[in-house]
Amino acid sequence: MHPRRSLTTTQAAFVLFIAAVVAACGGSGASLSPTAGATEPGATQAPPTATPTEVPPDKVTGSLTVLEWPGYETKDFWPDFGTKYKNVNVSFQFGSTDAEIYGHMKASPEQYDLFHQYTGWLQFDVDEGLAMEIDTSKLKNWDKVPDAFKKIGQVNGKQYFIPWDWGFTSILYRTDKIPNVDSWGILFDPQYKGHLSMWDDGPGAVTVSAYVHGYDETNITADQLTAIQAEWTAQAKLNKTYWTAPSDLESLVNKGDVWAGYSWQGSYAVTKGAGTPVAYANPKEGRNSWVGLYGISSKTQNYDLALRFIDEKLALLTGQNLVNLYYYGSANQDVMNGLNDPAQADTFGGAETQALLKDTFSIGDPNILQHTNFTPNLTADQRDAWTAMWTEVKAAQ
Amino acid sequence: MTAASERLPTGAGRSTDPRRGTFWLLTLPSAVALGLFLILPILFMVALSFRADLSGQLLAPFAPTVKQYAKVLDTGSYWNLLGISTVMAFGVALVATAAAYPLAYFLAFRAGKRAGLYLILLLVPFWTSYLLRVMAWRLMLDSSGVVNSILIALGLTRDPLDLLYNRGAVVVTLIYVWIPFAMLPILAAMGRIDVRLHDAAADLYASPWQQLLRITLPLSLPGIIAAFFMVFIPTVGEYVTPLLVGGTGGSMYGNIVQAFFVQAANWPLGAALSVIMLATTLLLVVIGLRIVQPRRLLGQ
Repeated sequence: MHPRRSLTTTQAAFVLFIAAVVAACGGSGASLSPTAGATEPGATQAPPTATPTEVPPDKVTGSLTVLEWPGYETKDFWPDFGTKYKNVNVSFQFGSTDAEIYGHMKASPEQYDLFHQYTGWLQFDVDEGLAMEIDTSKLKNWDKVPDAFKKIGQVNGKQYFIPWDWGFTSILYRTDKIPNVDSWGILFDPQYKGHLSMWDDGPGAVTVSAYVHGYDETNITADQLTAIQAEWTAQAKLNKTYWTAPSDLESLVNKGDVWAGYSWQGSYAVTKGAGTPVAYANPKEGRNSWVGLYGISSKTQNYDLALRFIDEKLALLTGQNLVNLYYYGSANQDVMNGLNDPAQADTFGGAETQALLKDTFSIGDPNILQHTNFTPNLTADQRDAWTAMWTEVKAAQ
Repeated sequence: MTAASERLPTGAGRSTDPRRGTFWLLTLPSAVALGLFLILPILFMVALSFRADLSGQLLAPFAPTVKQYAKVLDTGSYWNLLGISTVMAFGVALVATAAAYPLAYFLAFRAGKRAGLYLILLLVPFWTSYLLRVMAWRLMLDSSGVVNSILIALGLTRDPLDLLYNRGAVVVTLIYVWIPFAMLPILAAMGRIDVRLHDAAADLYASPWQQLLRITLPLSLPGIIAAFFMVFIPTVGEYVTPLLVGGTGGSMYGNIVQAFFVQAANWPLGAALSVIMLATTLLLVVIGLRIVQPRRLLGQ
């Protein structure tokens, strides 16, 4: 090789490296400035009153991009909007966890008009200026949402999110293997070693321990967290596996490999519907409940259209499909009341399925919500500490 | 290297050498792509690892801190898992390379005219999704899966064995996934071996084993080393297979990196863990190459 060519190549590589460093530090703003990162000035307020357009829905045009969980993009979960607003193009981007949804919004909020986030993460979205305040006076279906759910979508006293789906977390167990479960403590019972399954989630684990030991979930101390870590490190030896998708748990329960597992109510409906002898516990510490909500991106250029999308997400058929297809609860109370109405049996696939759904949501228990613990919003420190705790539990195996 | 007759005298006629323009034309696109899609993201990740948290604008200036590295240094279980993952990756790379070698040998020297067809058949699994191939092993190793069903049917065990949801399942699955990959560089190296060397060795009364050990193995060594590291390096950071078949006790280092990015939105800590993994892997590769010394083995 010509010696001068070798040097030239080296020079070229060096130049490229310098260019990359400059691009990383300068263009990216990752310069080592002593100034702390600034929070974006609050772009969280609703825009000046947008006069409702009188254009008929089927003449409305435009496009929306929704940051959504995989599965919800199918038209089954927005049929009311899809039928009414035929000329609006709705596209979807995906995140599989709340952290991913939050991360996508952090990285490029201008790419999305709406995003679907669950309780526990709402404060972060508002603190980072990712969500816009929502003018609920423009939502025709808002009065169908119970006040308790409306409140869940409020952060700092303002309505930033609209509740859409909800559910319980409890213990799903096989009644042919375990006669009765009345406590979250079953997950730590060595009697069932190798036949337990926990959700692969740090905050979920902390929540369970808080219920079992009576800790204040919103104020877990460092000592308590240390004890929780030790508890779950020991529990790992009892676990068959950690599940990440509900279908994993359902398969294990159906096969009889798992006898008791941390579970959402949908898994109860699926396994019971498959004929497996299962029950969904009412632990003495209370079930957990979570809610999924839609927020409007603070960078959206389609606020009015986004409002219409949310409004139609609260409509009847969309809510019924949510219950029928995913066994998740709808924030539209008319939908949930229909489970108690024999005349609406066909809407829910017949009397037997209606009864299964009624059982799944404990519609027959008027006191269920009184002894249900709703997931509180996490602080960033809690989120980081609890997830770090969980990774240490898994790393210690 | 150029032949003596082709070397240009120093400083003479270089500016008119047409090969210079061709060199830049061919090299620059790849170099730019490498810079944009490899170097730049790594630099971003390194920068991210010095953030205290994810609050504020992602690209805004920030006060650097070593808080994340201090957290990692302080957590013994992360280092323990890195060590376990490295040992697992070493084992997977060793076995996959060893298993791929006879396949490559067969294709290079025994398959004859059908070598192309056999190669395609061996690579057919690549036409399916990686996830499907891993999920297939779940069906194989499950309590009611293929392996347990055979063992029970043969009377070798009464109850199903716990073959799934452990580190063993992860290792077996990774070996299976990597064998076709490992075969390719070994095959490429063997393709450069002049078969007349075997004929010459045979003429000198060398047995087939001697030909393998004295000719084929040394000359295919670059391919073996490439295959080994091609499997070892990505396996250290593997997280998908442990997630699907590893269960509670089968996590690898990549799983905790994934957890901080995907479950916790704690990108700075995830980035710090990634940088440490990158540095550790590179160090091991350098040490490995120093120990193996391929040039010395090849007599160069």
